[in-house]
Amino acid sequence: MIARTSPIVALAVRAVTPIALVVAAYVLFAGHNQPGGGFAAGLMLGAIIVLRTVAGIQQPRYASVWMSVGGVIAGLVAIAPMFWGEPLLDQIVVTWEVPVLGTVKTGSALLFDLGVVGIVIGLIIALLDGLDAMSLVDRGRMPVPASVRSADIASPDGPEAAS
Amino acid sequence: MTVVVLSLTAARLGRNALLVAAVPMAVTAAWSATRLGTNDVIFAGFQWVPGLDVAIEFRVDALGSLLSLLVSGIGALVCVYAFGYFSATAVGVGRFAATLLAFSTAMVGLVWSDSVWTLFVFWELTSITSFLLVGFKHADPVARTAARRALVITAAGGLSLLAGFVLFVDAAGTARLSEITPITGSTATAAAILIMVAAATKSAQFPFHVWLPGAMAAPTPVSAYLHSATMVKAGVILVAVIAPAFQDTEVWKPLGLSFGLVTMLWGAIGALRHVDAKLILAWGTVSQLGLLITLLAIGTPKATFAAISILVAHAIFKAALFMVVGEVDVRTGTRNINELSGLRRTMPITFVVAVISGASMAGIPPMLGFPTKEAAIEAALGLSGAEFWIVGGLIIGGSVLTVAYTTRLLIGMFGSSEPMVDRDVAPRRPAMTVPEVTLATVTVLGFVALGWVTGVVRAAAVTVEPKAEVYSLFRWPGLTDAFITSAVIVAFGLVTGALLARRHVASGPAARGAANVDWMIDGVGRLARLVAARVQHGSLPLYVATTVLVVCAAAVPFVGEIDSDALYWWDNPAEAVLVVMIVGAAISATLVSSRLGAALVLGAVGFSVAGLFVALGAPDLVLTQLLVETVIVVGFVVGLGRLATKFPTPTRLWLTGRLVIAGAMGTAVAVALAGSASNPVGEAPVRELVETAQTDGGGKNVVNVILTDTRALDTFGEIIVLMVVAVGILTLSTKRGRTRRTPAESPAPDPAPVDAAAREEVAS
Repeated sequence: MIARTSPIVALAVRAVTPIALVVAAYVLFAGHNQPGGGFAAGLMLGAIIVLRTVAGIQQPRYASVWMSVGGVIAGLVAIAPMFWGEPLLDQIVVTWEVPVLGTVKTGSALLFDLGVVGIVIGLIIALLDGLDAMSLVDRGRMPVPASVRSADIASPDGPEAAS
Repeated sequence: MTVVVLSLTAARLGRNALLVAAVPMAVTAAWSATRLGTNDVIFAGFQWVPGLDVAIEFRVDALGSLLSLLVSGIGALVCVYAFGYFSATAVGVGRFAATLLAFSTAMVGLVWSDSVWTLFVFWELTSITSFLLVGFKHADPVARTAARRALVITAAGGLSLLAGFVLFVDAAGTARLSEITPITGSTATAAAILIMVAAATKSAQFPFHVWLPGAMAAPTPVSAYLHSATMVKAGVILVAVIAPAFQDTEVWKPLGLSFGLVTMLWGAIGALRHVDAKLILAWGTVSQLGLLITLLAIGTPKATFAAISILVAHAIFKAALFMVVGEVDVRTGTRNINELSGLRRTMPITFVVAVISGASMAGIPPMLGFPTKEAAIEAALGLSGAEFWIVGGLIIGGSVLTVAYTTRLLIGMFGSSEPMVDRDVAPRRPAMTVPEVTLATVTVLGFVALGWVTGVVRAAAVTVEPKAEVYSLFRWPGLTDAFITSAVIVAFGLVTGALLARRHVASGPAARGAANVDWMIDGVGRLARLVAARVQHGSLPLYVATTVLVVCAAAVPFVGEIDSDALYWWDNPAEAVLVVMIVGAAISATLVSSRLGAALVLGAVGFSVAGLFVALGAPDLVLTQLLVETVIVVGFVVGLGRLATKFPTPTRLWLTGRLVIAGAMGTAVAVALAGSASNPVGEAPVRELVETAQTDGGGKNVVNVILTDTRALDTFGEIIVLMVVAVGILTLSTKRGRTRRTPAESPAPDPAPVDAAAREEVAS
């Protein structure tokens, strides 16, 4: 057994999650002027999902939904300028006056990055799903669906066979 | 001016879809008819790929109008005919109608094309739609093989055509057919050969003719439309419109003549040997196409004029004859002329149509075929010297055979007074009769209103060959040489045909040429399987080893590039420490015996590399590298749960092999990096990038602006790769889930369509 989940791990992951979400959002927005960006933000969110999956809090699901949404956003951002006669992937920069933050400059690149985030998350979820990460989670403590549990017992090379 | 709109919604309407499909064709035909014989030319088009000067350009002149009238008019009639041909319960008629309409559109586009690129696109479209139509009965292996044969031969011709057009545009300096001037030189010669071969594949010239008889596996409406009136004429039309360019090259005429003459005779002989009425017509078509190519290759104005008039007459009578055969097939259940007899009493209307069209084919008055055949013979007699004896003699010989096989076909189907054994004749279907009668009427009317037909044909011929203006078709030419020759031909042909009709032939000859082509096509498959079995052996270590060694070979050219003076140890001593850490971790990764340990040590390598990026001042890379490493290590840990904790002990040989491969890869990367570092090419465009990042991208992080703006297309490509990978993972895991879990236990399948599509792909 590799990932024996404990309440401490579960609690810690739960506690970290919101912080990581904020950091990821920051990384996404900061990307334009400082280190960060869509790939980094996506990976950060992906890491959280990995942690939550391993801790048994969450199931890796909807990979294709994430990916389709991400892909559609990125694709739309890519072709949208062509409707106004601009070249493919041309960027529009918009300057906003946001109450607390002051003047904020964003562009359609941010939306494009959002698409990238979706795709990276989708990829990581797909990896977890493909590796069948859920079945490695300790069955005793976690709210694992019955289907996965019985599958584990049935599978010859499941965790027991491996360890 | 719009090309006919393809209504795919027709798929729902079943058999009625055919009538829907007939409407746009009829409209196009009517529009074309209003333009017959006029001299004004309509141009339309737009730039497609401006950089390469590739444009979609149409030109509707007299020839284009005439041909589109034929294509759409016969198309509309064929749709009506097919409505009768298919029973009300037949499956897939909607699909059939849609494909037929798509073909018709492609064909109209082809005859209206002005740019050779446009012509090529429509040329290929006709090949593809023809493939779909020949393979319409896709449950039948014979139809499938025939469709594949037709596709491979015509598509090979398409490649030849593309190459020929590229050379042609290079030599002629224009892609427009309306701006053609005679060209010579080696490029022009090569282009002439390639284009002639392409035309020969499309128009079923010997030895490429083998696909046409096979294509008779298609439903008869398809044969009546594609394989007599339209698609096979594409090659002839191409030769006609492009001939002015190649008149002066040495190969054009001999090549065309040899294709045409051999095909004309071989087709006619083939038609005499078969007993299947449809095959007789198919071989007859091959023969007629040979005659057309011959006439166009002769290249005199008279011959060109004759070719275009025969093209029109042939389209009309051959479509009608195919329809007749189809009706006989539907109503009696056989097309074998041995089994058929005495239909002239049970199917009187069909009989009349067949006689009119057959007479037109044989060149007997008062049918449209007569004056056109007369024009051809006159053109042949107009030759001089050796050409007169060879070409003229063969054309006359071919004409005798044409009359002979026509007679044999008609006697075989309708002659003899004894009733047929064991065959009932089903009731007549009006939807089949109407188009047949229409076409037969046109054949007769064409003779009656010959002056008008002459005007139309002459206007069309003039667009190709201005000197054709002086020629006419004559209803009664008087006792000229050509008329006497013609009379002799008909007499000989009738006698030969009648004699041959008496002789009982048990069955047609085996299609040896077609079998050879199939053997070749299958051979490619066999070869591919053989190679794939060798190359795709399925051993993962060997795949990796092969990949790595190829990469190593790619590094060899860099060895000479290394300049030891340009290299230095480090920018910052901290780098050395990090490199030691990386190397140490990498070496220990090879020594660790537990898989988990190896994964962790690899993680250490990754984090040290991130440290190296810090030292080099690349914060973006650091961030990404750290996150990637985190995810990878966790991924390893998750994945390792499925494997034994220790690595298996490798054999000594394999151990040595791996050492060599790893060493080679390390050396190769080092060499490549040192080589490229020794030769910096120019100044890095850092300043420029920083500036454009601020002005265009609106951001200060140059790396990210490059990713999301400056080179966003690259990023877009990368995320598509990511998506493909993810779809692959999901597919593989879904497949495994299906085999290991029972369906009830497996998690709910993802509803996203991309997933389903991917799964289907793997399943097939």
